Amino acid sequence: MSLIHCDTLTKRYGSAVALESLNLELDSGAPIALIGPNGAGKTTLMSLICGFIQPSSGQLSILGHAPGSHELSGRLAALPQDALLDPRLSVGRQLRFYARLQGLDKQQARAEILRVLETVDLRDSIDTKPTDLSHGMRKRVAIAQSLIGSPTVVLLDEPTAGIDPPNAKMIRDLVKEQSANTTFIVSSHNLDELERLCGSVIYLEKGRLVSFGAVSDDNHDHDVLTLRAPSVPADVFMPLCQQLAHVLRVGKTSQGDYLIETDNEMQASIALLQLLADNGWRYRQLSRGKTLEERLYGNA
Amino acid sequence: MKLIVIAQDEVLRLFSTKRGLLSIVGFCLIWLAVLIYGVMPAAQFFGGLAESGLAELLLPEFGSSGLQHWPASELSVYWVASLYLLPFLAIMTAADQTASDRARGTLRYLVLRCGRLEIFFGRYIGQLLILFMVVLVTLFSVLVIVAMNSAENLSAAIASSPVIIVNLMLVLAPYIALMALVSVLASTARQATLYAMVIWLVVSFLVSYLKSVFPDVSLLNWALPGSQISELRSLSDWQTLSLAPIPIVHTVVLLVVGAAIMRQRDL
Repeated sequence: MSLIHCDTLTKRYGSAVALESLNLELDSGAPIALIGPNGAGKTTLMSLICGFIQPSSGQLSILGHAPGSHELSGRLAALPQDALLDPRLSVGRQLRFYARLQGLDKQQARAEILRVLETVDLRDSIDTKPTDLSHGMRKRVAIAQSLIGSPTVVLLDEPTAGIDPPNAKMIRDLVKEQSANTTFIVSSHNLDELERLCGSVIYLEKGRLVSFGAVSDDNHDHDVLTLRAPSVPADVFMPLCQQLAHVLRVGKTSQGDYLIETDNEMQASIALLQLLADNGWRYRQLSRGKTLEERLYGNA
Repeated sequence: MKLIVIAQDEVLRLFSTKRGLLSIVGFCLIWLAVLIYGVMPAAQFFGGLAESGLAELLLPEFGSSGLQHWPASELSVYWVASLYLLPFLAIMTAADQTASDRARGTLRYLVLRCGRLEIFFGRYIGQLLILFMVVLVTLFSVLVIVAMNSAENLSAAIASSPVIIVNLMLVLAPYIALMALVSVLASTARQATLYAMVIWLVVSFLVSYLKSVFPDVSLLNWALPGSQISELRSLSDWQTLSLAPIPIVHTVVLLVVGAAIMRQRDL
């Protein structure tokens, strides 16, 4: 049984089409990235999956059930964009209520919220009201609510947006740790983050599915190297690199990375590293294939 | 099961928030003032009028026959006063059943765990329980006064209490249902109250107009929630239940409409 199945799924707001005839089949496993520019339909798709909004047409099933079904209670969780906890009630009280709604008795609910708050390193905030927490801590509490009952699938809508680097790293680490048992679908504008976290990527644009596939596409990336070496002088490096054996073409991306096309990626890598060593140039990263950003938006 | 958890949470929410606790303290103070300066002297006053027969003459609009039928004059005053006061309290306390949770996005956390209708009806039942407790507490306080003023009437007054409780809950049910409906449409408690007032005025004008066009359709007299109160105040004991179908129909209609909107509305 597939995790999520969309069949010609469409959502319209009046005359505006937010999502158009989306066909998609997602299976459980490594985290799945959901990307696209603003207005691409990412939040609409997540809201449809969670049952917050109704589709205009088409079919959608999650773990074989319609969105909003009782069967999904405790199996599907989410961190919805801009959703806030009640500022008047303590974090622990609200999470306990959610746990009780998922069918846990009072003792189980207490133990479970201690577990999820421990997971996000906020056990001490159990009696704190959300308004007394920082933005990053509130986000972590919201993630903790999504982990109650160890759900099968968790949707995270821009989990690190507006978050400071330490909190963002903690959230990324948490997704990595939990992804052994839970499939995460993560929407974000931070492509570097998604590239490191996710195994596959859904790319939406103007409500349409542009592509869906693995983050590292071995079929297309076998002949390209990406070198990140900001301190290397480009005017000297590029002509020398071009002369290396097995190097076909050298280009530079808008991000300052070097994109090196080869006919033998292994041999070219060795020659490239030798060139860098001979000239005393330090590099930050050498990777096979293009970055996710370059694959989606690059022209090189 | 989830319905009970939600209803329980709705009641506990009242005692867990500063606003809820302030409302309780405020209501207790107001009720104390009503008891001391309203129920006690009014009971003596109306008791005297009823005994002398002046009540029928002076206060026909007040439903004086009802005053005579309750076993203690304090209970009579409580009956009439609560018929008018408690609906206002219901409108105020039940205004935020789902409104601010929707505006804040908290409702999204809930619908991932339970059905929209469970939230709608769970919150409604929670508000019913809150007002049930209010009725119990206020009635108990009046019984204490009966015990102090005329202990010989206490057992009869206690025997009449179930009638009063059932009737007051029947009166309050459609008001809470109305607030459940407008709370689905509004984004704050204040907005919900405003919507309730607008709906009230529009339906009132509509009913007045229809009554002028169709003067023989007596059903129009019962179109508004609470329209039976003026009849109810002159009744006592179990005869009061003769008007029960009116608030029951109001409640069912309002809840059905509210639930339908709740099911369809985007979160």
